[in-house]
Amino acid sequence: MHDAHSAQDWRAWFAENGARLRLIARQWTRSEADADDVLQEAFVRFWKHQRHLPGNPNALVVTSIRRSALDLLRRADRRASREKIVGDDMDTVTWFEPEADPRLAALAESLKLLPAEQREVVVLKVWGDLTFDEIGEQLSISPNTAASRWRYAMEALRRNITARTHD
Amino acid sequence: MTDPDHDLEQALRALRPRPPGPAIAARIDAELAPPVARRGVVIAWSAGFAAAAAALAAFVFLAEPVEPAAPTYQLVRADRSRPEVQLFRPVELADGSYARPVRVRWEDTTRWEDARTQTHLIDYRPNDRLTLLPLETH
Repeated sequence: MHDAHSAQDWRAWFAENGARLRLIARQWTRSEADADDVLQEAFVRFWKHQRHLPGNPNALVVTSIRRSALDLLRRADRRASREKIVGDDMDTVTWFEPEADPRLAALAESLKLLPAEQREVVVLKVWGDLTFDEIGEQLSISPNTAASRWRYAMEALRRNITARTHD
Repeated sequence: MTDPDHDLEQALRALRPRPPGPAIAARIDAELAPPVARRGVVIAWSAGFAAAAAALAAFVFLAEPVEPAAPTYQLVRADRSRPEVQLFRPVELADGSYARPVRVRWEDTTRWEDARTQTHLIDYRPNDRLTLLPLETH
């Protein structure tokens, strides 16, 4: 991955990283459209103001995404009526490119079935390239808790894809 | 010691997240690119105004005491606590259906920092939501 500290052209950096950043944004939003809005706001803030800051640019951009997602949730909460249950398109939209390998296809579907707290750890580790320490910082949990959620997620994914590929 | 999850992690890394649509890149472009017309105006006028601006700036800064710059805050953290969920006894609604009241409480904390002045802004917001989960009865 190109280093965001020294990158001059945002288009090249975004072309390389946009897909995984959008997947991260999707973990904290209720719809694909919300994920797009969050990604836009967070990326612009990161590129204009934060990419030259010291530290891991991955962690900085993930922090920016989380901040935008929380802001959007607050605005949405104010709009939504108290009793209304907000719809989610999680079951109808695919997050990954189609895979010919049935095991990978099963894995992509199984990821959505994980509890949100486990899924966000998986996404931050695999597509955010964050360590358990950095994931703990992002989610306000201990690194041990992050690692524990990762292990539970791996067990669940292994069970699920085994069951699906034997159906 | 070998990592038993290594193969699964490698399989996950093989998955390719769907890229954002071109509309997102266009929206970002609109926010990051300086307006072309304005850039042309700046180039055309900058030479003529450069000397005058320098003289004015020298006058202003030499004549007046320099005030400290306003702090510029950068976001450093955005945290959400683990939600506390309370489930209540099911209730019968006016239309005869049943629902279970659920109360969720959590706190959002965002923190900004100005590295130059070593000052912090912390926004703490407790949240408390009550909602009804419809129940199916057979």
